[in-house]
Amino acid sequence: MKGLILKDFINLKKNLKIFGGLTVLYGVMAIASDDTSFFSSIFVLLYAILTLSLYSYDDMAKWDVFAQTCPISKDNIVQSKYLMMLLLTLLGVVYGSLFTIIINIIIKSDSLLNGLQSIGAGTAIVILFYCIIIPFITKMGVEKARLILFAVYAIPFVIVLAMNKMLSNGDFVVPEMLIKLANTCMEYIYLIVPIVVIIALSISYGISVLIYQKKEF
Amino acid sequence: MANSMTLADTENAINIRNLTKKYGDFTLDHISFKVPKGSIMGFVGENGAGKTTTIKAILDLIRTDDGEISIFGTGSKHLSMEIKSQIGVVFDGSNLHDNMNVGDINIIMKNIYPNWDTKKYEEYILQFQLPRKKIIKEYSRGMKMKLSIAIALSHHSKLLILDEATSGLDPMVREEILDIFLDFIQDEEHTILLSSHIISDIEKIADYVTFIHQGRIIFSESKDNLIYQYGVIHCPKEEVASIDHSFIVGIRENSYGADVMIHNKDAFQRQYRQYVVDRTSIEEIMLYISKGKERIR
Repeated sequence: MKGLILKDFINLKKNLKIFGGLTVLYGVMAIASDDTSFFSSIFVLLYAILTLSLYSYDDMAKWDVFAQTCPISKDNIVQSKYLMMLLLTLLGVVYGSLFTIIINIIIKSDSLLNGLQSIGAGTAIVILFYCIIIPFITKMGVEKARLILFAVYAIPFVIVLAMNKMLSNGDFVVPEMLIKLANTCMEYIYLIVPIVVIIALSISYGISVLIYQKKEF
Repeated sequence: MANSMTLADTENAINIRNLTKKYGDFTLDHISFKVPKGSIMGFVGENGAGKTTTIKAILDLIRTDDGEISIFGTGSKHLSMEIKSQIGVVFDGSNLHDNMNVGDINIIMKNIYPNWDTKKYEEYILQFQLPRKKIIKEYSRGMKMKLSIAIALSHHSKLLILDEATSGLDPMVREEILDIFLDFIQDEEHTILLSSHIISDIEKIADYVTFIHQGRIIFSESKDNLIYQYGVIHCPKEEVASIDHSFIVGIRENSYGADVMIHNKDAFQRQYRQYVVDRTSIEEIMLYISKGKERIR
């Protein structure tokens, strides 16, 4: 397992170097715009995208075929990928938080809470996104899973746009109950989101392991 | 029966029984063969004959429809990590990431194989003259192959499984790699399964040869036995019909007559004293079987 994680980090060496440059760029942009909330979560997203790169690297090298011949179990191979996804997201959170704090100190802004909230939301979205997409990547490889990836990206937008249109046309009136439910959810959001994320992770991991066990190479 | 199976399993590094795998247009059809411990088994056949599919089945990379495979007496689907760490595998491609160098590979393998031997790995890197600074992307095919072989040999493997490890390499490099295999096999606990369509390599180093053709095993015998048992006779075309067909492996006709490959040479010579039986090679045996006009087995 440790070997697999090291393999992934070695593969990302180059990418991580680019991040140094991006930090400076975003730093300047955040200072210029006097707002950090947008730039805070962008690091979470950037780190998270690296998980996709890891799958691409492995697919290109046909690494999994070799990995099967090593003293590593199939479950371990799947675990390492989820672990890397979480580690990279965590790195994004730490990096993003440090970035937010430092820039806030520099520009003497009080948008720290906003920034950290945006990081939290970004983290949850990223993990949920991967919970959906990893089983597809495990099944069909990252190249073929790309279409699904776009769909996962697009569906929430389409729904929100459609609802927005219906609401503004007056075709659809939101029932009182739904608004109440949404308000209750918002009250307990710091509890609900982590629970949803953990459940999604467990289900997604279970499915991916099943797929990988049956996969042919 | 149970006794003979147990006995066979301690004698063989690999034992395949009735392995079957069906694809749409290809079937690996109830194949069985054994790779005795301490030997080099050459696994030959034309491209698409089923060599890679068989090797994938041995390594549990594909699901099979029927049959059993055991490695060192254990079912291939239930290999312990200890047994897996004693198997070195080299595929046609390198299966390693392009942006890594030999140092990176060492770090990774050290943390994957509990029995990884950095010193040995470094020795092979030196012996194979693999550049340390270059990344794998910049390696030639021969270099990639040598790196894969270095990895396979650096964790005290007892079994090497090599799928087309020498194809696409120039003769110098191939010779060098074959020497390494011969060196490896000096330890009588060591075994090699080497698949290749380059028959000359197999003739050079293999103790046993398994020939697969269109998803079926045609023979799996010791190399010496094969060369001793098979032979070619030359006769007029019309005489072919008079030869007992159970001897005939394949026929090639030309304007002067027919070349007939026969097997069971001793019995043939006792029955047909008028023919001179020429020695043959593994390559010729394969060609007669796969391309000959008639195949009776």
